[in-house]
Amino acid sequence: MEELMAILEEIRPDVDFETEKFLVKDGILDSFDIISLVGALNEEYDIEIQPVDLVPENFNSAEAILALVTRLQDE
Amino acid sequence: MAFTTLTFFLFTAVVIAVYYLFPVKKYQWLILLAADYVFYLYAGYKFAVFILFTTVTIYLAAIRIESLKLRSKEKIKAEGKSWSREEKKAYKAGVKKKEKTILALALIANFGILVFLKYSNFLAGGINQILGHTADGGPLPMLKLFLPLGISFYTFQAAGYLIDVSRGAVKAERNLLKFALFISFFPQIVQGPISSFGQLAAQLTAEHKPEFIRFKLGLELILWGYFKKLVIADRAVIAINTVTADYTQYTGTTILAAGLLYALQLYADFSAGIDISRGIAQILGIDMVQNFRRPYFATSINDYWRRWHITLGAWMKNYIFNPIAISKLFLGWSKKMKQSGFGKTAAGAHIARVLPTSISSVIVFLVVGLWHGANSKYIAFGLWNGGIIMFSILLKPVFDKMCTALRIRTESFGWRVFRIIRTFILVLVGYYFDIAPGFYGAMDMMRRTLVDQRLSLGKTEIAGLGLGKADFLILAIGMLIMFVISIMEEKNQIDTPGELLERRSFAVRFAVIAITVLMIAFWGIYGPGYDPADFVYMQF
Repeated sequence: MEELMAILEEIRPDVDFETEKFLVKDGILDSFDIISLVGALNEEYDIEIQPVDLVPENFNSAEAILALVTRLQDE
Repeated sequence: MAFTTLTFFLFTAVVIAVYYLFPVKKYQWLILLAADYVFYLYAGYKFAVFILFTTVTIYLAAIRIESLKLRSKEKIKAEGKSWSREEKKAYKAGVKKKEKTILALALIANFGILVFLKYSNFLAGGINQILGHTADGGPLPMLKLFLPLGISFYTFQAAGYLIDVSRGAVKAERNLLKFALFISFFPQIVQGPISSFGQLAAQLTAEHKPEFIRFKLGLELILWGYFKKLVIADRAVIAINTVTADYTQYTGTTILAAGLLYALQLYADFSAGIDISRGIAQILGIDMVQNFRRPYFATSINDYWRRWHITLGAWMKNYIFNPIAISKLFLGWSKKMKQSGFGKTAAGAHIARVLPTSISSVIVFLVVGLWHGANSKYIAFGLWNGGIIMFSILLKPVFDKMCTALRIRTESFGWRVFRIIRTFILVLVGYYFDIAPGFYGAMDMMRRTLVDQRLSLGKTEIAGLGLGKADFLILAIGMLIMFVISIMEEKNQIDTPGELLERRSFAVRFAVIAITVLMIAFWGIYGPGYDPADFVYMQF
């Protein structure tokens, strides 16, 4: 989780990822942030996030992002 | 059968009546399918071949892709345990390749037809010109082609479904007739909204009982649509057509007036068509997605495209922008740049980070431009929008710094109004490409707008554009009504005037509806001898 927090903070230092639970729904992260995040996550965790994974539910909170990463690592 | 004709009105009334009176509720949806094909064949029986081709090919491809998926899952379950990790990976890759081949073949066939019908003359003309001839006088002949009704809309909707199936996001529809209904739903086939299978399909085939609230809200939405179409759009178009027939006859003042009127007409017209579609669907018990959310209140071009033709934007984002932006190629470029010497500087790191999104934006808008028509002016329209978005992403840190240095309170109302006006001007420039005869025409119209402002002559010219003083007064009132309703919707985060009305007393509701009906009756442009203007987006 700490690793993920570091990545998130690098992309959007102005957002408090610990408390925000609706990052996409509330428009805190836009599609451009998410694309940057996908690049960083793919590289850091050696996964391949697919277009089908780009849905709000996977990016609404740090926990959701971590769940996505874990799922893709297991595949 | 245009939405503004009496035939359409009667047709819809009969469909709604039969739909709800049909005794076997389980097969209620077949009434919709029958209605779709009556509506479609009425437009021309030749067209039906194309929509049937799309329906059948996409239907079969989706089932084939899904069976491949299921079979491979079963095989892995049965034999996977004895395989090594590499063997499993290789097997999965083999199946994926087969799936992708089917997907590609189906998409190429369907988009191939669209491209051929829509763009072959444009391409042939371009090649003729490259070879040193005139566009229609070279070795490549100009073909007499016709566009089947709604082909862009149903092709996009069908393609989206197939991609969703191949991504595993939705299950393939096994019933051909149910699938045919998803492709041909009559309220939306002419001009959208482009719906996703997951959002729409189950609603279409579910059993529906008539509900008073749906009839009320649906009829109010339809009424609002007719007001925007008949009172505003079809009136404004008269003046616009007069100017665009030969803009060189007019001052920059009049050209600007035509551009502004076009902004009004296009929004009134397109959103009216969508309101009528959504209203009819609502009465039938079906919720279709919203396509407009007060686009002229957008604070950036990016925001505008999230509010204007939302379903096209969503389609582009889902099926073109995202796959390109997160492709290995684009993310690889970004990574390489990050690791280079340039990437170590602050500016370099930012550019490396936003490179995939900015290039993908330009590509998407190039496609959006081409979607609007086969003409170089539409390519320019696309590049203009994509270019601004790219520019704003790349220079975001600079703009942020400028705001801080100038001590601009970015949360203030004044700054928001400034951004809205600035965005509207950028959008208006894009519209010039729309109404101009071609790319150079658009440039010339912009030049005249900037250097040839003559107020008094312009005023005389505008008076002679085919609209009288009363017409301009009606347009002004119509625009004011749209503006006030938009502000109220924006404030309450509500998307239809009917929902706003729900909060008022019965007397207010009755008065508003009665006045709207009277305005349409007295001010609407219709009746014998009048040829209703086609909806702008009908020929796409």
